[in-house]
Amino acid sequence: MLVKKVSFNLMVFALVVSFSLFLNACAKKVAVEEIEQKEEVIATEEVSDEAAEQKRLEEERAAREAQLKEEALRKEREREEAARREEEARREEAAKREAQLREEFEKENIHFDFDKFFLSDEAKETLSKKASWLLDNPDINITIEGHCDERGTNEYNMALGERRANSAMKYFVNAGVNAGRISLISYGEEKPLDPESNETAWAKNRRDQFRIISE
Amino acid sequence: MKKTGALSILFVFICFFLYDFTISYAKIYIDIDSPSFRRFPAAVNYFKNIEGGDNQENISEEIHQVLTQDLEISGLFSLLEQPLLSESMGGVTLYKDGKINFIGLSIIGAEVFVEGNFRCNDDDLEIEARLYDVFQGKFVIGKKYIGKRRNLRKMIHRFSDDVLLHFTGERGVFDTKIAFISDESGHKEIYIMDFDGFNVERITDHRSIVLSPSWSPDGKKIVFTSYKNGNPDIYIKDLITNREERIAHYKGLNIAPDWSPDGEWLVVTLSKDGNPEIYRIEMNKKKLRRLTNNWGIDVSPTFSPDGEEVAFVSNRSGNPNIYVIHSSGNNVRRLTFNTKYSVSPDWSPRGDRIVFSSLERGCFNIYTMSSDGTDLKQLTSDSGDNEDPTWSPSGRLIVFTSTRDGRKSIYIMRADGTGQKKLKKFNGKQYGPSWSPRFR
Repeated sequence: MLVKKVSFNLMVFALVVSFSLFLNACAKKVAVEEIEQKEEVIATEEVSDEAAEQKRLEEERAAREAQLKEEALRKEREREEAARREEEARREEAAKREAQLREEFEKENIHFDFDKFFLSDEAKETLSKKASWLLDNPDINITIEGHCDERGTNEYNMALGERRANSAMKYFVNAGVNAGRISLISYGEEKPLDPESNETAWAKNRRDQFRIISE
Repeated sequence: MKKTGALSILFVFICFFLYDFTISYAKIYIDIDSPSFRRFPAAVNYFKNIEGGDNQENISEEIHQVLTQDLEISGLFSLLEQPLLSESMGGVTLYKDGKINFIGLSIIGAEVFVEGNFRCNDDDLEIEARLYDVFQGKFVIGKKYIGKRRNLRKMIHRFSDDVLLHFTGERGVFDTKIAFISDESGHKEIYIMDFDGFNVERITDHRSIVLSPSWSPDGKKIVFTSYKNGNPDIYIKDLITNREERIAHYKGLNIAPDWSPDGEWLVVTLSKDGNPEIYRIEMNKKKLRRLTNNWGIDVSPTFSPDGEEVAFVSNRSGNPNIYVIHSSGNNVRRLTFNTKYSVSPDWSPRGDRIVFSSLERGCFNIYTMSSDGTDLKQLTSDSGDNEDPTWSPSGRLIVFTSTRDGRKSIYIMRADGTGQKKLKKFNGKQYGPSWSPRFR
């Protein structure tokens, strides 16, 4: 009987244990399965996210690269444009400067005292600028016009005007300008800049004018 | 009776001849240039229209205006004021019993009386003019002039010339012309007008700058400077054929031409050798001969009337002054010493004097001097700038320019500076006058 009891007890124990084990095992299995399932979904998700991201990133990179390329191109173009513009501006500036020099050369007269044809310091300064421009532009030929104020005879003034033109020519030749590039003409008192009969007008009219005649 | 009549006519004729002869003989020696000469007071009556007709008032008026102006300019007469000759204005009764009232005329101071008449049919005009010696109550000179209405001025100028010839033995300058430059058209061109400013005519059309006209001694050509081809070159215009010829176009200046009295040469200024010098150009062969050789400006040559010498302007002493050189190129003499700036000499056709303009105290004035540089006389003063003087062919008048009324215009005066008178109102500036020779 005892044995029987023990064996019964043992049996019950074993049963309980195995039952509880079973129960336990069952419960454990469900949890694992859940976890595994969860992990699987996450992983799947992870896999699918990564690809999209990869693609997105790829796309983004491509876009960025394209953008960068475009940017670079644009910048390049801009740089080129800017350079072109700069060059143009530079050229324009140079042309303007050239035109200005030209204009200055033609517009800036030198002046003389009444009945005189010697060069004043001011006249020499002006002529020195003109001479260096002439040396920089060796293809340019010029005419120097001598003028007088209205006082005195037309005839004497024509001779005086020639002297005045001659004075400027001598200066240029001494500065190294080829005499063959320069021609002279005297207009005496016949082409006044200011037709009035007063000292202001006369001072303006006693002058050499300079004309570019060919290149 | 018949015989007496014939005799008396002969007598009158002889008397008249003798009278005329003595008068002419005596009057030829009237030296109107002498400082002691006193001008004859003259009374000029309006010419009568002897053939009615309408609108003849202005003919009488025009005759009177031309005649009084000529007699006044001549330097031989001074004209009595018109009211003295008008009875209605309290003046003298000119005619009594159909005869000239010489006594009345002498009371108002007249020594010479001029009257006349005219008839005008359509375009034809006849003018009869007579001049009397009031003191002797005698006829002196008279003439009938037949022509066209448009020649009225010319007919009266003829009479004035005849009067001057009678009194001085030398014709007046009433048929002469004056060439000058005007910028009226916008360009400087040569114009010609009668000596009194009428009948103006433009003779060049260069549309450039034209300067320094000078008449040939025969009055048929004018030499001048023009920039027509860019450079100041010398041209001759034939006034008969209207043709132009360029006669000097060297490098540099070709300016200031003047004829020799025989018409064979021109004196000019050329700068072809680098400096303005005086040259002679032979008209036929166009041969050149250089007269001056100096570092200075030598310009504006003018021949003496005998062709032996040339006066010119030179600044060889520093300022422009008048010099004389023999026409061979030798023997240069300076004439002006007391002036600082003397230009534009012109040698009187009488040979004795040179007229020029000189800058003193900021103004140009006209002076004459004897051809050796002595006896300087100032002719203009206090009347703007007075320049460009040139003699009339008689040597009794001088044409010049003045700015006294603003713009430069042309004036004439007697050789002693009296009777200064503006010739005509133009637009623009007029200058560079040259007096023609007589045309007959």
